[in-house]
Amino acid sequence: MSFEGKLALVTGSGRGIGRAIALKLASQGADIIVNFFRHRESAEQTAKDIQALGVKAEVIRANVGDPAKVDEIFDMIGNKFGHLDILISNAASGVGRPVADIDVKAWEWTMDINARALLLCAQRAAKLMEGRGGKIVSISSLGSRFVLPNYTVVGVSKAALEALTRYLAIELAPLNICVNAVAASAVETEALKFYFKEGLVKDSRYVTPVGRMVIPEDVANVVAFLCSEEAFMIRGQTIIVDGGTSVGLFALAGK
Amino acid sequence: MTVEEQIRDIIARITRVDKSIITRQSTFKEIKADSLDVVQALVAVEETFGIEIPDEEAQKFQNFGDFVSYVENRVAQKEKV
Repeated sequence: MSFEGKLALVTGSGRGIGRAIALKLASQGADIIVNFFRHRESAEQTAKDIQALGVKAEVIRANVGDPAKVDEIFDMIGNKFGHLDILISNAASGVGRPVADIDVKAWEWTMDINARALLLCAQRAAKLMEGRGGKIVSISSLGSRFVLPNYTVVGVSKAALEALTRYLAIELAPLNICVNAVAASAVETEALKFYFKEGLVKDSRYVTPVGRMVIPEDVANVVAFLCSEEAFMIRGQTIIVDGGTSVGLFALAGK
Repeated sequence: MTVEEQIRDIIARITRVDKSIITRQSTFKEIKADSLDVVQALVAVEETFGIEIPDEEAQKFQNFGDFVSYVENRVAQKEKV
């Protein structure tokens, strides 16, 4: 697998899963555009670590929930590079509340960042992939299909993301753009620490049949595969990376 | 309008509280600002003053006064440059 000479945009790549994906693609030779919103220091560190691998890294701050900021990202890429090969739609946010407490603001905030951003980014990315083809991978979560406490609006946004991934896969196929998603269970990241603090999830080490939690690199490995030519015939799929959690629910019940 | 007045207006608009209850000693909880309100207030303040407030800094704000002081300092630094 080599991404030498390819240019990849990874949204939300200062920390966690996005950072691991950026580093994985960079380790295979891709130049990376690191996007962040709230944590500049982490993004700058990710860029430094990418550059240490001998490839280029560019940092751009933008809230992908804001259409004008999405335009800024792609205007920059268009002006500076003139093309894009890989888009990883990873940036996510969310409001952890029970159904009764979800207001319009929380709904829109989460949907705009987690679902609409893929639409807006894919529209702009497709233009930059014209004539050369490309890969788009979105990052989902098990909450799209399984109910987690206080996860409603995020889960719904991830379901929308996965549905959009299927539509994009078909509509962009004639442009030689492969579109897929990766859905992970709880991954050991800073974001998860936030959820622990808010009491949303328990330590899921004990519900992963493999015996450890999913780590960002597990997700990054699958994303890299989906970005490779070996995955050419996989289209519109959501690949689950959860150590078997979702197929082992009943098997684990007695543990 | 002073920096403080502008930030008070932004927070009152986002949290829909009467701005007269927002004093420098008010905590975000007292202003009824949840974590989403705080992020949205940070973004609106950043755009109003053309500055960037990293989360690492924002997490140190104990009350409205801390937020205002931080922005006042940043705006003053910016004007010096």
